[in-house]
Amino acid sequence: MNTKQSIAGAGLAIGLGLVAIASVIGFETMQMRVPPSYARVGPQIFPYIIAIGMALAGGYIAWKSYRGGDDVIDDVEPTDWKNVGIIALGLIAHMNLLRPAGFVPAGLVLFMSVAIAFGSRRYGRDAIVGLFLVMFAYIGFTYGLGLQLPPGILKGLL
Amino acid sequence: MESFLSLVDGFATALTPINLMWSLVGVTLGTLIGILPGIGPALTIALLLPVTRNLDPTGAFIMFAGLYYGAMYGSSTTSILLNTPGESGSIMTAIEGNLMARQGRGAAALSTAAIGSFVAGTLGTLALTFLAPLFVKLALLFGPAEYFSLMILAFTTVSVLLGASKSRGLAALMLGLAFGLVGTDILTGQPRLVFGYPSLLRGIDVVVVAVGLFAVGEALFMASQARLRSAEILPIKGSLFMTREEWRRSWKPWLRGAGIGFPFGALPAGGTEIPTFLSYFLEKKLTKHPEEFGRGAIEGVAGPEAANNAAVAGVLVPLLALGLPTSATAAILLAAFEQYNLQPGPLLFAGNSALVWGLIASLYIGNVMLLVLNLPLVGLWVKLLTIPQPLLYGGILIFSTLGVYSLSNSTFDLVLLFIVGFIGFLMRRHEFPVAPCIIGLILGPFAEAHFRRALSISQGDPSVFVTHPLSAVLLAIAAAVIIVPIVLRRFKHV
Repeated sequence: MNTKQSIAGAGLAIGLGLVAIASVIGFETMQMRVPPSYARVGPQIFPYIIAIGMALAGGYIAWKSYRGGDDVIDDVEPTDWKNVGIIALGLIAHMNLLRPAGFVPAGLVLFMSVAIAFGSRRYGRDAIVGLFLVMFAYIGFTYGLGLQLPPGILKGLL
Repeated sequence: MESFLSLVDGFATALTPINLMWSLVGVTLGTLIGILPGIGPALTIALLLPVTRNLDPTGAFIMFAGLYYGAMYGSSTTSILLNTPGESGSIMTAIEGNLMARQGRGAAALSTAAIGSFVAGTLGTLALTFLAPLFVKLALLFGPAEYFSLMILAFTTVSVLLGASKSRGLAALMLGLAFGLVGTDILTGQPRLVFGYPSLLRGIDVVVVAVGLFAVGEALFMASQARLRSAEILPIKGSLFMTREEWRRSWKPWLRGAGIGFPFGALPAGGTEIPTFLSYFLEKKLTKHPEEFGRGAIEGVAGPEAANNAAVAGVLVPLLALGLPTSATAAILLAAFEQYNLQPGPLLFAGNSALVWGLIASLYIGNVMLLVLNLPLVGLWVKLLTIPQPLLYGGILIFSTLGVYSLSNSTFDLVLLFIVGFIGFLMRRHEFPVAPCIIGLILGPFAEAHFRRALSISQGDPSVFVTHPLSAVLLAIAAAVIIVPIVLRRFKHV
């Protein structure tokens, strides 16, 4: 499958995805129980309008991509999903590590994952820069600005 | 005269040491993020919102406005030396500017960009000073129906004019509006689209969406496109003092750029992209050196850069006087006003005149600071461009997650950030514009409130929107924005 075909396939998927989100919004809004005094200008009108607008836009994009008429994107390389996956894993690890392990280790994991996804192979340099950066951010924001960042395993040390 | 006296009072506010410091912090940070690729003013102000909650609002807004101006100065440096525009308003600068740098005239390109930015920024601020009070008088004529129609006009123009296709702009707008629906309905207290998650009851924070789309989405996109990551930094060659010839060829484009930029910024047309584009093609038409276009023409840098900075001043007019954001950054600034429980519009000018006029006066001061920061010190800033991308984007994501977590110390917001970030990646990959999404998210709840207020005043009669003359005119313009291009295209085909 060449890039052009895969872009068209993705366009179809995105269009249908928008229609799906629009249906969810419409369905959820129908489930709302509205007191009769608000029935005329209630909290449901706007969600319905947005659902219809989104379904129209999504349907049009899907149809155009299906027909092959959507030639807006011309000069992109195929997506390197491996690098996207590395950052995604870094973000998931970060949100799971933040409370139990603390801001500094979680931040370092995220920093390293981004550096690797951007093609860096100088792990030592990245780790040192990353460590300095997260420590600086932790100390600056907790002591300087009074934010409450989770200390985790470094509790009492920083 | 009235404006002039208010402005003098404004200078008294802006010239206090503490506010001068905020202005300096703002313009310095703005230049920094303008130069760094991958981080812009909308993202930076969004990240600063949680940490500035307890600041004095006047100081905070002086800093934010300085940051917005500064980002426009800084991004021209990146455009010229790296050929990757720091901001969308610098795309046109990159064309001729980078060619000039390649021919060893980089210093002249940087000079005409910085001085042009100063000239146009100052002219734009001057126009803002005298136009904003007039817009406030106009705003006094507006009721809920007129405000709603004005917002419909803004929604229409940003989604039609920005991005690769109208359907993409519309989809992005609807997505933003849908994000804005999540949470407790203000008028009835009913939960909407919360899917049983109590954490969603307070709504999706603007910061989560802005950081997700701008920072996480951008990082994922850049990581997925290896080709976009290699860029060559050109050294600054030549003299920063422009020759007589260069001055002669620059001053008219500066003034024309300012003339194009300011009104386009003030219109709900999405900020800086369109005026810089128009300025470039105008200069290309008017130049006496057409052979130089495509090989590094100074007019092609001077005009768009001036248009860019004047447009930013223009954006502030509807934002301050009507509460109407016309760019993504302006939408984030509107969220900042909300955070301090301030409402832009006539009330702000009447009740918080020290803030408004202090802010406007600080723009004059900020422009002077920026000229100094960006011309003699440009060599220092250029060193920032040598930061390796892996470290730069690693740092951006550290501060992004930090800012989002500190909104309410909740990891749930980080999950939302992840989801919005992936949506942002898909939007970037498939050329959906981001600005309509941000504007929809922030302006949507206001539009709905005005819509329902207008209908309850008219006791449910929807004809109010077309029987009020001002409202009808605004809706007619919105309809024309959609219909006219279609009709024109039909005629071309015949």
